[in-house]
Amino acid sequence: MSSARLHPVWAPWIFLAPFVVLFGVFMVFPLVSSVGLALQQTYGPDTAVRVGLKNFADLFRDPLFWTAARNTFAYTAGSLFVQLPVALGLALLLNQPGLRGRAWFRLAFFSPSLVGLVFVAALFALILHEREGLLNAALARVWPGFPAEFPWLQRHIMPALILASLWMYAGFNMIYFLAALQGVDKSLVEAARVDGAGPCSVFRHVTWPAIAPVAGFVTLLSVIGSMQLFELPYILLGGAGPESRGLTIVMYLYQNGFETGDLGYAAAIGWVLALFLMGIAVLQRALQREARS
Amino acid sequence: MNLRARMSSALAHGLLGAAALLTLAPFAYLVCGAFKTRDAFFSAHFLPRGAGALGVDWGGLTLDHLARLFSDPSLRFGASLLNSVFYASVSGVLATLCAAMGGYALARFAFRGRAAVTALVLGALIVPAPLLLAPGYALVHRLGLLDTFAGLILPGLAPAFGVYLFRQAMLNAVPPDLLEAARMDGCGEVRLFFEIVLPLCRPMLGAFLLITFIGAWNNFIGPQIILQSPERFPLAVALAQVKGIYGTDYGLLMAGTLVSILPVMALFIGLQREFIAGLTSGAVKG
Amino acid sequence: MNTRRTDREPALTPAVWIVCTLAVLSSVAVALRPDAPRPDLLLWTFARPHQEMYAPVLEEWNAAPDRPRAESLLLTTDALQRRLLSGFLSGTPLPDVVEVHGGIAAQVFRGPVEQIGFLDLTDRLRETGLLEQFNPPSLTPWTTRGRIYGLPHDVHPVLLGYRADVVEAAGIDLSSVQTWDQFVHVLKPLMADADGDGRPDRYLLNLWETNPELLEVLLLQAGGGLFDAREQLAMSTDVNAHVLATIASWTTGPDRIAINAPEFDAAGNRLRLDGVVLCSLLPDWLAGAWQLDLPGLAGRVKVMSLPAWTPGGRRTSVMGGTMLGLPRAARDVERAWSLAQQLYLNRDIARRLYREAGIVTAVRTFWDDPVFDEPNPFFSGQPAGRLYLEQAPHVPARTSSPYQRLALAALGDAALGLKAEAERHALHRVEQLEPLARAHLAQAEQRVRQHMARNVFFESAGETP
Repeated sequence: MSSARLHPVWAPWIFLAPFVVLFGVFMVFPLVSSVGLALQQTYGPDTAVRVGLKNFADLFRDPLFWTAARNTFAYTAGSLFVQLPVALGLALLLNQPGLRGRAWFRLAFFSPSLVGLVFVAALFALILHEREGLLNAALARVWPGFPAEFPWLQRHIMPALILASLWMYAGFNMIYFLAALQGVDKSLVEAARVDGAGPCSVFRHVTWPAIAPVAGFVTLLSVIGSMQLFELPYILLGGAGPESRGLTIVMYLYQNGFETGDLGYAAAIGWVLALFLMGIAVLQRALQREARS
Repeated sequence: MNLRARMSSALAHGLLGAAALLTLAPFAYLVCGAFKTRDAFFSAHFLPRGAGALGVDWGGLTLDHLARLFSDPSLRFGASLLNSVFYASVSGVLATLCAAMGGYALARFAFRGRAAVTALVLGALIVPAPLLLAPGYALVHRLGLLDTFAGLILPGLAPAFGVYLFRQAMLNAVPPDLLEAARMDGCGEVRLFFEIVLPLCRPMLGAFLLITFIGAWNNFIGPQIILQSPERFPLAVALAQVKGIYGTDYGLLMAGTLVSILPVMALFIGLQREFIAGLTSGAVKG
Repeated sequence: MNTRRTDREPALTPAVWIVCTLAVLSSVAVALRPDAPRPDLLLWTFARPHQEMYAPVLEEWNAAPDRPRAESLLLTTDALQRRLLSGFLSGTPLPDVVEVHGGIAAQVFRGPVEQIGFLDLTDRLRETGLLEQFNPPSLTPWTTRGRIYGLPHDVHPVLLGYRADVVEAAGIDLSSVQTWDQFVHVLKPLMADADGDGRPDRYLLNLWETNPELLEVLLLQAGGGLFDAREQLAMSTDVNAHVLATIASWTTGPDRIAINAPEFDAAGNRLRLDGVVLCSLLPDWLAGAWQLDLPGLAGRVKVMSLPAWTPGGRRTSVMGGTMLGLPRAARDVERAWSLAQQLYLNRDIARRLYREAGIVTAVRTFWDDPVFDEPNPFFSGQPAGRLYLEQAPHVPARTSSPYQRLALAALGDAALGLKAEAERHALHRVEQLEPLARAHLAQAEQRVRQHMARNVFFESAGETP
């Protein structure tokens, strides 16, 4: 960069200063201190006892943590398998040439993702109500055999959450797919069509390879987001729900850290979650590299 | 257009229309619920049916819930609305400024330590937020900032994600030659940034501002942990309180939800183009 | 703020404009907003009816010239617990007097005893002789490691609320019913299927494993429970196994008599109003709530002592509970103490508490009040208060363990596991179910114990005073 000589030496640091200071204080410092915190048992921030790796040992034997992990995985898997195909399908439909009202459709599909999880929860508490809810009424109409008063919030919490997440995030992920589809080389698609390839074959051999990197990115983003599920069940159920069916990893972290005051255990849960997510990210990178070569 | 193409187009329109209806139904439900009287609430899922025009019982609609939100002092809804606007807009503006400055420094200056800061930024991208909840709370406590707006806003002002986005945007949109030319003309560094650099990455500026605004508006766990006094609660926390205390007052709850999401919706509908452009630019290219 | 420059930039996008304007305007508004004046004495409560009931007392308090101004604030249970802990542990603002229920108090008792943020009231209560005025079992949930941290609000005896109209129309006399066995035997005919839909038209009892509080009520009545008198975890016992097995036989299989009719829930209330569920375990506070929420039941229900588990056994139980505590950090402890007494040792409040919320006071010296003898039209003219008070001295002790919530959840899991197993193997007789119940309870206890062993701060409690 040739401009190096023209600007004063301090110039970049002036611009970086607010970020570096705040980042150091509110990101790097807590991150470093969370290592020490995870090795303590605390009762509030001022009472702490060093317990070493016991928090982690306890965590792996803690059935509630495993319940939380199981629920979170179920939700993550469910939302991936339901949400991403829907998102891709919507994007493919929206990408059709000659479609009218594209901007309106895009706006409609995207709008739910702007609603905060707290507000979605307040709304869905009523939509999912077993007796009065919109969902059960609608299902009863289109599917006559559907059990009356299906207890979404009492028993089938994870399917209910997956449904809510489908509503919220399908349109959000659709935007990424749409952007990727617009980058697909039109001449390649045309050439394949001329060669007599059907729509499925075009998708498999031309479109999919072109959007696969974005699909990988969207998958990673969805996994990371889903694994941090908290507000939706917390507000919807006012806590973990019957038999902890709505307990998630971050909710368990919250309960331990802020409802019972053990910040150390909460930090340990945070680390387990973080290491898991970092593992997923590394894995995704490796897979992507593999696919490219 | 041949028949086949026409049919596939009709099918696409039909599918999209159905999906759009399903997507918008909860919103319609919310709007109807916010205006139905207590008695009419469960009489129909959307508008109460009756003998009035269009087969709707217009007498079953009311503005009472909305009025009560702002008149019942124990709900503190007006104060919460102000808190949300304050928290979201100040967080948005300051975080965007901070990220734009940081991104600019990393993109367009050569200096010792740049590689280290860039590595830190990239590394921070993979740290999930929940990891910082417990140590962040302990830190805010130690700084004496619990239950203050500063304790809520300051930790959100150094978004690594934003610095990364702005760095990419500056690399694309700010030509080094232009900066050099301006410097030769005697333009100071600060003026250079505000008058030349910022306008060049206007789309990212708008998009990131909106992203941080909406993120703060919808943030629940942060204010839930840091803030303790109800007069400082933003809508997200206040609404959870309303749901907890007046959980069966469905009309009130729906009205509160409606008021809580309306400002963000309005902002977005006016600005969706740049928002979506900004959202995808980082991801698809990076 | 440097952004003011960019505000004037004509080429700025509208998004930036709007949000910057909002930021400036709202900052000014927030800065200029007057701080809500903090009252001299602040009371937190989690119950709307309580707040309404205390309003006149506070008004009267504030009317006296030399007194500090008192105000109350209503919070959700969650928020109250979080803010109280945050105040006790991190020094955020606290009230001067706070009303909490058992679940919250127990969380406060989780740490080392010197970290408990409530003022230790033991000596005050002893010296003033107030201790003698309270019903002894009412103090147990507020006592940890031998010290008392709150004034008891209630006794919360549990009676059986039943649909007298239905029962009497069928010519059934419940007054001779002494035990649960007799109860089932006498009422079973009402479970006939007259409308021929293959399901009983009525169920005898509102009870379900998804509501472990109700299960605990029955365990406590039988002399079991989750914790013993020394606050030690004691889930896996013969008594508990017997009760749990009986409950399983009541909720599934040929001897099913129970249905799930959740309280404060539209669906549950419909079952009560329609007479689909005949009897409920009815603590006094719930009796009060029914009188407000379910006017349709007025004159159609009555209360009676619970049928006992064994002949001559205990005819009541206990459910829920609230205390009034003073944070040690209260600005003026003596004033707060005097307000607390105004609220909890107040004959007028005790009367209103019963009239408006159905709750009988824990202050024994008020038990002679004629209000409790008033015939209650909701309960078909019964003097419900007196019926509750007759059982008040016999209520079992409630735990103050910070692990009660966990143990309760584990109890629910055990009940659910037991029921699933019963259905899987078609085992429906109580004797068959007892060993299974014992195994499930042992497993549940093991889980809770593991959690308790984690806590290095909570030395298991001593005896209650």
